[in-house]
Amino acid sequence: MLSTTSYQPNYFSIDDILATQERTPCKFLQNAPRMGKLNPSTDEKDLKAGTELELPLWLVLDASAGRQMIVAPELPKIYREAYREILKADATAVDLHKFNLYFYELGSYVKYFDRREDVHNILLHTFITRFRFIMDLANNADSDPTVQNRLDMLERRLFKSGHIARTKLNTWLLDSGAPLKAANMVTNHRKRKRVDDDLFA
Amino acid sequence: MDPDEVEFLGEKSLVEIVPTFNSAPIYFIGGDVGPFRASIPIRVPLWVAVNLKKQQQCKIIPPDWMDLEKLEFLKEEEKSNKSFVKMPSDHYMIEAKLILGCAADDIPKTDEIRTIIKDIWDIRMSKLRSSMDDMIKKSAMYAAVDNLTLMEINSIRPLLPHALDQIYRIKTNKKALSNRSQGTTSTLSESRTSFSSKT
Amino acid sequence: MFAEKACNLIKELSRCEEVLPPYHTELVKEVCTEIKQLHEQNKEDGAIVANESSIAGYANALYPTLRIGSSAVKRNVRCLLAYHYNRLKTLRTMRWEFGSILPQDIKTNLSSDEIEWFTKYSRSFAKYMTSIGENGLNLCLDLRPPKSLYIEVKCLMDYGKFELSDGTILLLKKDSRHYLPRSECEELITQGVFQHIV
Repeated sequence: MLSTTSYQPNYFSIDDILATQERTPCKFLQNAPRMGKLNPSTDEKDLKAGTELELPLWLVLDASAGRQMIVAPELPKIYREAYREILKADATAVDLHKFNLYFYELGSYVKYFDRREDVHNILLHTFITRFRFIMDLANNADSDPTVQNRLDMLERRLFKSGHIARTKLNTWLLDSGAPLKAANMVTNHRKRKRVDDDLFA
Repeated sequence: MDPDEVEFLGEKSLVEIVPTFNSAPIYFIGGDVGPFRASIPIRVPLWVAVNLKKQQQCKIIPPDWMDLEKLEFLKEEEKSNKSFVKMPSDHYMIEAKLILGCAADDIPKTDEIRTIIKDIWDIRMSKLRSSMDDMIKKSAMYAAVDNLTLMEINSIRPLLPHALDQIYRIKTNKKALSNRSQGTTSTLSESRTSFSSKT
Repeated sequence: MFAEKACNLIKELSRCEEVLPPYHTELVKEVCTEIKQLHEQNKEDGAIVANESSIAGYANALYPTLRIGSSAVKRNVRCLLAYHYNRLKTLRTMRWEFGSILPQDIKTNLSSDEIEWFTKYSRSFAKYMTSIGENGLNLCLDLRPPKSLYIEVKCLMDYGKFELSDGTILLLKKDSRHYLPRSECEELITQGVFQHIV
């Protein structure tokens, strides 16, 4: 069953967990006793103030929150000016997946690391500019499956749901009647099984 | 919604048939159909007409608009108009597909009619795509969808509403979310602008 | 890095959509051990920090360590819960698509708790369906708008005997064709036994 609702991250969402696992640069503002193991380039037991590290976003978010910040977060490089310029020039030409698989999600978290609204604006600009491109991909019923490799996770979801709907409409326009079909999981299960059987035959 | 579900809704629209049999009214949950008198025209739901036609129990009288001249006119109007032209039927595509599919022998110039309806559909679909793109690009607050039929509106689902959802999500602050994800009560931007904000 | 193992559980799920990878008992155990160790350490550190007055507490040398430790516990717990929650979600969909009997190769990927959950879900699902209306209602039927009462189907496997609601018994063989009431064969189509011929 394909979800009919739009992506909305929550506590249990796999994509949100993976997005918050992305490494983000930060600088320690205080000593953290016994936390030396966070820094792979040293054997010291304690982590000293001033150390610069890349840590998973979930830790950076927690450690930089509140009255007393333990780390000062920094923008990952794909959201810095040089990369923003590339997106401004022609967002549709960019392989967003290479920037980051969770470009928009990660961006929506880290945009607050920069007090100006530059990151916020570039997220919006990128999405809006690339919409036509995604819509055309989805509408092109027999588009090459590798095209979605250039999309980020959020765009992929849009592409997939759009593509499925489009295929159904095209089938409706061409066919005389919609046949009843085996459930998705059943069909996929059988396909896999056939491959397995072939492998071990 | 899937196209066959939209089709199901469209199948309720009425068409005129000439039955070749006699029968007392049939009582359905959705309403009564009949009584049928051979050679006397009667209006029935499209799904009834299609079923009777398949059993060769009736002749389907094509709707007024299913006429080459009228459709040519409609096509020109659709082409020259920037917005969407009102279609003669709310389910023109479904009626065309089902009636032409089963009752080709009752309708003169079936192939031409089929082609021209498909042309009109294609013109409208490409208009729909560019207006969607426009709406997103201009960050418009609303878009007029006057005169679009249900099947056409359904063709931009779920892509357009989902894209709008995501734009809304990017636009609105993510403060609330970062709170939930790891359960901290402070917010990043606040803590950055003033260190004295509450935790 | 903290919670790396927990995140690996999530990565295992994300690699396969609509499929359940084998329940990773070992890794789940290891994550639980990490949580316990972190928790013990946090308790010790917390006791030291809490001994001081609140303002001095922030200034305590162990305060940053405690913050990082508690963050790591929360992260581990989140991944662990999400792992189990998302597996159950897939399992629930499977009840609707495969029916109440799961193929053996899917079953072997489940933990014993998951198998128990599936049985219980199946049972309450069946109970709910019989409670609707006078004679019950099969919610797995009529998922698409009907087109005709009877449809033609092709059998895709040697299924064996199949009893129709009027008591007739059909012998379903691979490649045999049947003309049947739609309501009688819809479930077998969903389960991939029949193929609907248009």
